[in-house]
Amino acid sequence: MKKSPPKRALQFLRWFCREDYVEEIEGDLTEIFEKQYEVSPRAARLRFALNVIRYFRPAFMKSFKFFNPFAMGVLLRHNLILSLRSFMRYRMSFFINLCSLSVGLACALLIYLWVGDELSVDKFHEKDRNLYQVMYNQELANGIVTNGKTPGLLAAELAAEFPEIEYATTATWVEPRTLSVRDDYAIKAGGRYVSKDFFNTFTHPLLEGDKDHVIDDVSSIVLSESLCMRLFNTTTDVIGKQVVLDHEAPYQVTGIFKDVPPNSSWKFDFVMAYERFEKENDWARDWNSVGPYTYIVTREGVDIDLLNKKIVDFATPHRKEGKEISLFLARYSDNYLYGHYENGRATGGRIDYVILFSIIAVFILVIACINFMNLSTARATRRLKEIGVKKTLGASRKALAFQYLTEAILVSFFSLLVAVALVWALLPSFNVLTGKDMSLRFDPSAVLAVLGVTLLTGIFAGSYPALYLSGFNPVAVLKGKLRISVGEALARKGLVVFQFAISVVLIASVLIVFRQTQYVQNRNIGYDRDNLIFFLKEGRALTNPEALITEMKKIPGVINAAGLGHNLLAHTMGTEDVHWEGKMPGDEILFEYMFADYGMIETLGLEMKEGRAFSRDFVGDTTAVIFNETAIEYMGLSDPVGRIIMESGQPLQIIGVVKDFNFTSLHDGVKPLFVKLWPRYAWNIVARIDGSRQRETLRAIEDLYKSFNPGFVMDYKFLDQEYQALYAAEQRVSTLSRYFAGIAILISSMGLFGVASFTAERRMKEIGIRKILGSTSWGIVVLLTSDFTKMVLVAVAIALPVSYIISDRWLDSFAYRIKLEWWYFAVAGVAALLIAWFTVGLQTVKAAAVSMTRCLRMNE
Amino acid sequence: MPGQNHSLGEFEELVLLIVAAHHNEAYGVLILENLEEKLQKKVNISAVHVALKRLEDKGFVRSRFGGITHDRGGRRKKLYSITALGKKVLDKQYALRTSLYQQIPKISFG
Repeated sequence: MKKSPPKRALQFLRWFCREDYVEEIEGDLTEIFEKQYEVSPRAARLRFALNVIRYFRPAFMKSFKFFNPFAMGVLLRHNLILSLRSFMRYRMSFFINLCSLSVGLACALLIYLWVGDELSVDKFHEKDRNLYQVMYNQELANGIVTNGKTPGLLAAELAAEFPEIEYATTATWVEPRTLSVRDDYAIKAGGRYVSKDFFNTFTHPLLEGDKDHVIDDVSSIVLSESLCMRLFNTTTDVIGKQVVLDHEAPYQVTGIFKDVPPNSSWKFDFVMAYERFEKENDWARDWNSVGPYTYIVTREGVDIDLLNKKIVDFATPHRKEGKEISLFLARYSDNYLYGHYENGRATGGRIDYVILFSIIAVFILVIACINFMNLSTARATRRLKEIGVKKTLGASRKALAFQYLTEAILVSFFSLLVAVALVWALLPSFNVLTGKDMSLRFDPSAVLAVLGVTLLTGIFAGSYPALYLSGFNPVAVLKGKLRISVGEALARKGLVVFQFAISVVLIASVLIVFRQTQYVQNRNIGYDRDNLIFFLKEGRALTNPEALITEMKKIPGVINAAGLGHNLLAHTMGTEDVHWEGKMPGDEILFEYMFADYGMIETLGLEMKEGRAFSRDFVGDTTAVIFNETAIEYMGLSDPVGRIIMESGQPLQIIGVVKDFNFTSLHDGVKPLFVKLWPRYAWNIVARIDGSRQRETLRAIEDLYKSFNPGFVMDYKFLDQEYQALYAAEQRVSTLSRYFAGIAILISSMGLFGVASFTAERRMKEIGIRKILGSTSWGIVVLLTSDFTKMVLVAVAIALPVSYIISDRWLDSFAYRIKLEWWYFAVAGVAALLIAWFTVGLQTVKAAAVSMTRCLRMNE
Repeated sequence: MPGQNHSLGEFEELVLLIVAAHHNEAYGVLILENLEEKLQKKVNISAVHVALKRLEDKGFVRSRFGGITHDRGGRRKKLYSITALGKKVLDKQYALRTSLYQQIPKISFG
């Protein structure tokens, strides 16, 4: 056996040791090693390694200055020139790369803007870090219910009890109100009641007024800048002026706040004193009722977990009749993205879509990068001579790799320019699609992020070609004997398979999202929601709804009209204070509470399963109640009609059972429902109109309203439109995913097109020979296409189970969902195959049609 | 050369003495073996190299490469020789030690 020192140690020594010392040290160490080797080879090796380590200290190390900036500059310029030349020479692949990378980058940019906008919602408040909403969990028989609405007295009590809380404020929901400053001019705007310290808690800068005292008085009103302009045409000297709400209640302007920014989850035009709300609504002083929202700001440095533990049981002792509730604090700015609660636990929310689209952006970029990799490596044969000559002349592998990286990065920066132009052109339509108001802003962090992503894309796209091309053996290359190993071909095929797999997943998802949204919107929800309009009772409509409803019914196009205290779109109100015969402790459940006027059930077109609807023919219907099927089933009442139940201490008789219908989003199933006749609290008027005479009927209603309720603006809405708006998020996902899937497929096929054209070109001679020997053009097409067909089939096989799992999970978030049918996936697979065939076909047909003599005459 | 570091550590002095003794023939391993033989203990080669580099920096020795060898993995030896300055420092050191030594009174340690 040859006696040689351990290789690893020697390599290490050569790597770190100064050039002028290394020969001497290596020689001396080797001499010692050789002498010791005679005695004990093992000890000698060990000793050698140990000795090497002893030299690993500053005095023997190389200096860190291993490159010289001037040489780098020259190299860079040289590389840039070479890159530009190669772009000019291989225009086709440059064009494909530019297209796919710029479309990919544009997609990523748009998604980046959207994600940034979503993440910024509600983050603009200065105290964001310490701003919390008080929410509660309530354990009911059918699970834990989470609610953001709290007892109205909570904020003040919390602030008084806990020194950790700096500010606490109560705020109601936003309600449309009619505002006027003169008799002949009224406008509608959304306002909410807020308590003292609202402007300390939230950052809505005041242009006029002192934020500590701006809503001290019960008749104070604070307007937004734009509302103030609409009312007074100016924002100066309006303090102290009068604004009349709903033509009856005078308010004094005490301040002006800057318009609520678009990235606020609550949008309102004015605020009033919560004290007033409390005075007008008795229930707001009752701990058993919940309604307003409670927000707190904790002092700096307060341990939020500790505070959470302290407040958890705070409200329960105050609630004499209500069931116990567990308070908790949720970060205010998290509520927008993480607003879904299931069984008392946060289960995401909009963040799911943010993550989904971020993943799509990355995938689209990866697909575009793969195009670059595939085209550059496939075209390697063209550049073999260049690489061979360079290597013989002493170019190091590092320098060559650097050159290809420069090329990739250059392409990606060109693409960025195109992408920015694309985004600029597409942004308006994208804003419409997403319902946002985004613009290209050039703040440093965004620019840095975009440049960083572009650089990364370039490096990623260039990495594989750079390593692959720079690794050629110069001798073999110059002899023209480049063997493409099985591994390389496999890698390239793998990349194509990956691209198509993603495309297939996207096609399948688009199909399923589309079917599901259609299903949700066309599902029979238990009543006909077409041609149903509803509007808020105001003014005389509030004081004397009977008269308005009677008049409305006289209009020929109005089929029916009634008062209704529910919005039919989402959970509005609830009660768990219902007692029935046979109820066990722990059987508490939340009943959805619906206030009805006579004729409500008929107007909506709900069907009665048993019993009857409310009717004027029966006296004493004010102590009657109607449940839905689900509620009766839950209570376990057999033969329910005629039975007496207790609600909030009042005995009520069941007069009927209504068939289940949906009164919330279809994410949720039908909940137990409790309908009570109480015209005063039925705050909406619903009317069913004749669809064939819609326009004149609406005009007639508006005319009636104007004369009946002068000074008020009628603001009616169609229930079916509102219902669709409820699924706006799903709609947007559906539309956006369609676009992005299309783009992913487009980019993938661009890459396939490039590779196919290259393959056809390289096999030109083979095609010529085959044709001479009698092969038909069709045979050639099949020959060239079969390779790609196999790849796409493999992609389909990989993608289908993946898309099945993903879509199944998405559909699980709906209470009513479509079944996953095999043909969704079949369509996705076949579509991918057809697209691939079409792309490849364009090339192969051209190749097959070429005259054979030309094929053979071609050199190389 | 004023300001230059003319100090000489004990180990450095030993190495310098051996370089001087094997004029033009001294190199790492030879010095190492000589040291080990005279001192009767194990010395590490890296210590020798450190001392040699320091001596060279101070200008007490100079070095050149020898011819190609067959053993040592084909590496050349680096041969060291003492400079005039090195010799002077050694002389001074020797004179200092001798004069000090001679001041020792004749005490018998019986």
